[in-house]
Amino acid sequence: MDSDPPLPIPISYISNRYLLFSIDAVTYLRREHHICGVLIGTLPQIPQQNVFLGLPLELMPEEARLLVDKGVACIVDEAKAHAGMRSLLEGDRARYLRDLESQGQHAMRLQSDRKEQKREEALKKLDEKKAARARNSPSASAQTESSAAIVDIFNSERSNGNTSRDTSTSTASSRMGITPATSYPPLPPPSSTLHLPPPSVPASYPLFAHLHARGYFLSPGLRFGCNYMAYPGDSLRFHAHFLVVSYDWDEEIDLMDVVAGGRLGTGVKKGFLLGGAEKSKQEVENEADRVDSVRAFSIEWAGM
Amino acid sequence: MAPNPAPPEPSALTQLISSASASNHPIAATTLQILHNLQYQHLWTSLQTHDIPIPLKSTTDTPPMSLISGIPPHRVYTHPDEQLYMLEKGLRDDDLRPERLFVIPTAQGQSWSVHRIAAVFDSLPEIPSSDHTESSMADVDAETQAKLTEYYTKKEAARATREWGGKRILLAMVDKGMGGDGTVAYYVVHDGEVKPRQN
Repeated sequence: MDSDPPLPIPISYISNRYLLFSIDAVTYLRREHHICGVLIGTLPQIPQQNVFLGLPLELMPEEARLLVDKGVACIVDEAKAHAGMRSLLEGDRARYLRDLESQGQHAMRLQSDRKEQKREEALKKLDEKKAARARNSPSASAQTESSAAIVDIFNSERSNGNTSRDTSTSTASSRMGITPATSYPPLPPPSSTLHLPPPSVPASYPLFAHLHARGYFLSPGLRFGCNYMAYPGDSLRFHAHFLVVSYDWDEEIDLMDVVAGGRLGTGVKKGFLLGGAEKSKQEVENEADRVDSVRAFSIEWAGM
Repeated sequence: MAPNPAPPEPSALTQLISSASASNHPIAATTLQILHNLQYQHLWTSLQTHDIPIPLKSTTDTPPMSLISGIPPHRVYTHPDEQLYMLEKGLRDDDLRPERLFVIPTAQGQSWSVHRIAAVFDSLPEIPSSDHTESSMADVDAETQAKLTEYYTKKEAARATREWGGKRILLAMVDKGMGGDGTVAYYVVHDGEVKPRQN
């Protein structure tokens, strides 16, 4: 795979959301730390798009907290970090723009190379066909003319006659516009003074961290009305095993909720898992101690 | 004018409850009702009740819990990996000796918490191996016998590693309020994360 991003990975904190804009960071966290998040980016032209979403990746506060506690990531107040954009040196700015330009040129060159290659292949195929046809029916000269017209439709550049051969050199000078997803190459990586404290997390965090530590991939549980869904591996490869609901240690559990969750879970071939941390926030020094005291119970309909 | 008909006989369940638990707290009636249901609807055998002390610091007035244990006619729960193992060995449920299973009797509206469930599991005795009767082993051929021995060895190992699930208990729920029609809902509860049976 490609290079791992430098640690700690900056998580952008923007209007109460934890976001990741770097594709390297997203793939790295998914691969190495089982953090999937939710892609929320749409195409600018189609803001109502709700499938096939792209960057940025939004993290649950629990996910962000877990990564910060592991020392893998830090939270950066993005608005403050970008204040430095104005104070960027003119030389640096120019160099960055030049860099983007050359990247664009490179991308354009790659694309036109590929186009050229395809065209060559298509032409070669056509020539072969033509030759074969000429051999079969030497009288059908009118047909070859019409087929040549079809070729022109597919290859408009060919109508320019001999100029077509050197289009690649002329297009290479025009370049593609590159829109960088992150602003950390021009800006220095955010200094630790800009790091925010670890995110505050809901009461279900100990159960989240407990299941994560056991190798489960967790995603938000809105679809099944629970806190989380727990997957035994990457959620693109596996079905979820559990609908997870967290309770405080002495919080009252309505047995009807157990029936509802247990029955729903069994209906969708999952287990219903409830649990909580034995130790309360007051009893421990940090969250990690609470995670160790989590008890979890899986519930399935007995079918009798 | 016809004379007033005699009031109908109370049901067998009502009779049982009123005869056995008049002195006890209301939970005893729930326990009896579920015991009755297990015995006559699900045909469980060797039914017993166990009083377990549940030390709860927050709720001191909670009455002691009763658990029911018994032997179901058919297996109620088989862990998916255990099922796979049995398939590979060509063993069927009926080949195995029956196992004692514990049941928590509960009524709708009863107060439960993670703490309480954990306490129940902690007080649960490990199923003693001596509980099994050797009679079912007698009338099988030598080949099955060998497979069974292998299976029980594997099961013992799986119990230690918890790869076929840890302790499990059956949660039985009755609705005693309006609309309570005597239905008892049963749910299997596992200690820890145990993967679901069909996935």
